[in-house]
This record gives sequence, C-alpha cells and structure tokens, in this order.
Amino acid sequence: MKNPVMTASGTFGYGAEYSEFVDLNRLGAVVVKGISLTPREGNPPPRIHETPCGMLNSIGLQNVGLQNFLNEKLPFLRKYDTRVVVNILGSSPGEYEACASELDGMVDAIELNVSCPNVKEGDMLFSSDRNALMRLVSDVRKRLSKTTMIVKLTPSSPDIALDAKICEEEGADAVSMINTIPAMAIDIETGRPRLANVIGGLSGPAVKPIGVRMVWETYGKISIPIIGMGGIMTGEDAVEYLLAGASAVAVGTANFVDPRSTLNVLEGILDYMKRKGIDSINRLTGGMVWDHKDL
Amino acid sequence: MSRLFQAEVIENRALSETHNLLRLRSSGNIKTHTPGQFFLLKTSESYDPLLRRPFSILNRSEDTIEFLIRKKGKGTAFLCRTTRGDHIEVMGPLGRGFRESEADETPLILAGGLGIASVFSLLGRKAPEEHLFYGASTASELYLLDDIGKTANNLHLSTDDGTIGLKGTVVQDLNKFLNVSHVERPVVYACGPEGMTAPLKSVLSDKRIPGYFSLEERMACGIGACMGCTRKTSGGMKRVCLDGPVFSLEEL
Repeated sequence: MKNPVMTASGTFGYGAEYSEFVDLNRLGAVVVKGISLTPREGNPPPRIHETPCGMLNSIGLQNVGLQNFLNEKLPFLRKYDTRVVVNILGSSPGEYEACASELDGMVDAIELNVSCPNVKEGDMLFSSDRNALMRLVSDVRKRLSKTTMIVKLTPSSPDIALDAKICEEEGADAVSMINTIPAMAIDIETGRPRLANVIGGLSGPAVKPIGVRMVWETYGKISIPIIGMGGIMTGEDAVEYLLAGASAVAVGTANFVDPRSTLNVLEGILDYMKRKGIDSINRLTGGMVWDHKDL
Repeated sequence: MSRLFQAEVIENRALSETHNLLRLRSSGNIKTHTPGQFFLLKTSESYDPLLRRPFSILNRSEDTIEFLIRKKGKGTAFLCRTTRGDHIEVMGPLGRGFRESEADETPLILAGGLGIASVFSLLGRKAPEEHLFYGASTASELYLLDDIGKTANNLHLSTDDGTIGLKGTVVQDLNKFLNVSHVERPVVYACGPEGMTAPLKSVLSDKRIPGYFSLEERMACGIGACMGCTRKTSGGMKRVCLDGPVFSLEEL
C-alpha cells in the first residue's frame, strides 16, 4: 500500500459512493462492504441508532453478492491507483471458500469476516470456537494462492491475541482489529429495542480505547502485521493505534461524520510525523514507550 | 461547486417553542434542487451527537437554503440555538426528490405535520390547478401559513382537534375532496408521519391515482454506502437516502 490508511468494511460501500468526496487514488486501500456468495438482504429496519460518541448498527451484511461485485463494483475500483481489499463472509465454511476461490488473483487482498455480531445463522460464532476459526483460516488459505489474506477479529473474543496467533499459524498474512462490539439500546418511551435485531455492533469514538488495548495486547505475540481500527476520527487517533502496534489503520464510522475522514486521517498522520521528525511509518509501529518494571 | 460546504446562518427564527425556521447562505454551492431532496446538517462541534441529521430542503433560492427544524433531541436543539453569523457544515442536496408533473396532470400535494418541509417547494409549480392538503394535530402546529397563502391557490386545511379546517386527517380531507371533485389526471405528492402511508395507499389504489411519498429514516452516511437507512419495498431493501427519500406508493 502506498500509505497505511484503509477504509473499514461496511462504512465505505464499494468505493463509488464516496468517490465524489474522496480521491480514491490517495488511499492506501479500499476495503469494500462484506461480500457473500449470493446477495443478502440484511436485517429489517431500524438498523442504526446513535449512542453517545458512537453508534449501533445491525445492517445484517446486506450486500450485492459475489457476481454483482465482480461484474459491476470491481471494474469501477480498478480504475483507481489504490489497493482493493474484499471482505468476505458466509453462512458456512463452503461459502467462504467459494468466494475466496473466485476472488483469488482478482483483488489485492481478502479480509475474512469471522466476527460480525449481526449474523445469527448456524454455528458461525468463531469468537467462541477456536477450532472452527483454525479450520476456516486454513481452508481459505488453501484457496488463496496469489492473494494476501487478512483475518478480521472480534473484541468479543476471550483472547484476541490468541485468535491472532492461530490465524498466523494457519497462514494469515495479517490480522485486522477490532470489529464492532455487541451492544444494544432501548427506547424507554415505547419499551422497545432501538434496533429491530435488538443487538448490534457499537462503533465510533467510544470504542477506541478498547481497540487500542487489543492491538497492544496482540502486538508482540505475533509477527504478522496488525491493521488497527475502531473509533479513528483523526490522524492523532491513528497514531495511537500505530504506537500500540498497528502497521496500518482503517477508518470507518468517521466517514459518516465527515466523508473526507480517510484523507483527514492520512494528513493528520503525516503532520504528526513531520512535527516529530519521523520519516517512516514503520518507526511508529509499536513505538509506545513504557517501562516493563512499572507493571 | 461542492455538495459538502460550510453554510453561514442568515436567520434562525423560532416559529414556536418547538419549531424553528433556519435560513442558511449557500454561497452559490447549489444551483438547483429537486423538491423532496434533503441536506445532512452537522449538529455538534464534538462527537456527541456524532452523526449528521437529515432535513428536507424547505426552500431554496440563488443564495440561500431553508429548513424547518423541530426540536426533538440534542442535535436539533443545537441547530435551534445557532445564531446569525454561525457556520454549519452541510452536505447536499441529497437523495431522489419528487418527479416533475406532466403538462396535463393535477398535482395534489399532501403535508402531514412536519411533512410540509418536504413538499413546500413543490408549491407554485403548477398553479392554478394544484391543491395543497395540509394537516396537523392542532391549528398552532400549522406552520408557514402566510407563505403558503402566497403560493397555494387551492388550500385545504385539517386538524385532528378541529381547531381549524376539517376535523380529521389530511388523508380523510383528500378522500372527501376526491369524492366530490373531478380533476384532470391527479397525482399525489405526500410527506408526513409513517402512519399516513397505509391509509393514503388505500385511498389512492381505490381511486387508481398514482402517488409519491417522501420517507424519513435515521441515517448515518446519507449517501448510499452504509445500508443503515433501508426500507423494505416491492423492489427489495432500498436506501431512503439514495434510492429515496421519495418512493412511489405502489412500491411501499
């Protein structure tokens, strides 16, 4: 990637929606909305609800499906000088594998969505079944011979660093974290949940401290790069993630607050580096300073 | 010309304790708009409230845009506190508005409560044939009557409590009118509370009149990317921010 700023899956559509506000050529990567083998309609509305310094979403992974993505969305993205990362999901390991096989060699990276809180089907709760995670990563790895594989991890996991280690062992090229945090809200006037799905994922500034913590806990336990995300609104927020151990960052909910956020974050990182006299992003990764003996 | 810009507050007038008329300077950023389109307004300088709020374009001129704001929560309270000279970051015009009427069609415009904000700029396009049916819970909730009086040739008012006009709903008012009057190729353009769609749909399908309704929904991105504002239609899940907010009643 030309720079460490990526978009967070689900917040940037398939790129075209934001191209009016953001010169996609300037992004490190565009990570598109999660794609499943066949189109998904998603959850019934209401799907979003704002909370203090954040929001809940239970979109339910509505997407156009793999074929439409290949035929219509991908050609548009290919016109730009940016990496294209496709987030993939499925209701069975077979679906992940089928998506991976078709996308191998067609895009710059695949991001495995194993951690979305908004899907109820089957046993797809990889956060509580490490064997399933292990098998999935390993099976998808076999289908991707030419393409970088990233696994997106959930903060719901009892040990995200261990999940990351498993992903590394099974052949992942990188991990990204954190996905949204399962959360809910209730309308006390009607007595009803704010989301039709009851539970959704919390994102935005409110989650940043949790994301930074998890990146730091994982860094040092694995050697593959970490893409940090969760509440990044500015370049300063991104630098926190980098210092905690991230090699790249993804900007998500911030796009709703200001559609130019991805570029604002990039410029913020560059301003910080200039101010501190740092000439390379690599010098920021894991650069947090602390004395072990104080713990 | 950009759809994302800082707009200066020219006037922020309280129409009542709960409703304000906000006029902003658009500084040539918007050359045109379709009635039914909306803007996303930033409602804080901080992260709370986080998301922008969508507001129908009440009216637009060469250099200004107007919104009707109902004070409901933190975001709208913020907007109602702004004063002349303040700047608000805005995004728009967004969405798909009402279609243009054909030469021989008669627009029947329906506004339920705050729905007047969405249909107001339709007025005057096909005077003298067009009709406006405007209803609210009570007389004091009928806003902008002076301005409406200047542009609406055929005005029908209704209130739930009968303090002015027909005692009943806008849809009942429309139904009554249609039962006694004949108009050339009527087309309905409506906006109002959610509860209005079903009775309106029923009246129109009964009389085989096409109608269009402007929906409201919570939004995050406002530009069709996040899928947060979708509604079920006959054509699948559609985004109120991009595929709408105006939909044909048949679809809903």
